[in-house]
Amino acid sequence: MASTVIGAGITIEGEVTSDEDVVVQGTVRGKLVAKDAVSIEHGGAVEADISGGPVAVAGTVTGNINSTDRVDLQNGAKVIGNVDMDV
Amino acid sequence: MATSTVIGRASFIRGRVSGDGDLEIAGRVEGDIAVGGEVVIDTSGLIAANISASRIVVRGAVKGDLVAGEALVIEAGARVVGDLRAPRIAIAPGGLVRGHVQTGTAGAARPRAAAAPARAVVPEVKARPVVAPPPPRAALPAVKAAPPPPPPPVKTVAAPAPKVAPKPAVVAARPGPPAPVVQKKRG
Repeated sequence: MASTVIGAGITIEGEVTSDEDVVVQGTVRGKLVAKDAVSIEHGGAVEADISGGPVAVAGTVTGNINSTDRVDLQNGAKVIGNVDMDV
Repeated sequence: MATSTVIGRASFIRGRVSGDGDLEIAGRVEGDIAVGGEVVIDTSGLIAANISASRIVVRGAVKGDLVAGEALVIEAGARVVGDLRAPRIAIAPGGLVRGHVQTGTAGAARPRAAAAPARAVVPEVKARPVVAPPPPRAALPAVKAAPPPPPPPVKTVAAPAPKVAPKPAVVAARPGPPAPVVQKKRG
């Protein structure tokens, strides 16, 4: 179960920090930091640097992705930025 | 369609949350919240933000103003420091509120709107001739005139005077406070 969900239609401008999973179906601009899994679902858009555990992208990411685990780019994913792994 | 949004208890958002849809907050938010749907602040929620939504339910802690288009519910155990405004407001026994509470729609806006035009109608140019005619009397009537409107006698006197003494009028107008005097005579 995702503990934090940014629903479709919702926009967050600023910084999102979470010790839990984060699911983005809406829009996040700024910064996204999670200690656990991050999922950008289809229709979700992140214009921010992402750092987290496993990152799954099915939406759009403009920014760098930094993961301590793995990064999955799924069908329909669009990523403009660097992908880094700190394992 | 707008899916509901959940800010988990271990999540922290600093910035602005906006858009359409419902919002459930169990974590912390600092900044600004403006959504079209319902906002629910859970018991673990900690908010330092102004919130505007169609419906707001508070069970946690909020520091900021709450404005709801439909209804605002402060439940038992909730803590709110800030003003509440909504057509309907419920504060349950045990809910803590420190701030102004206002029901109804846009009540605050009306008095301000009414006051603004009154002040705005102050053409200084025309004011001078009217004030000018009675140079000695002008000072006293001007001060007293402010609260009540005693314009009729002043105007009658003023009408003939301007031709007689245009220069003194200017001199008198400068020292005194022109804005308040002008208002009375006009109104």
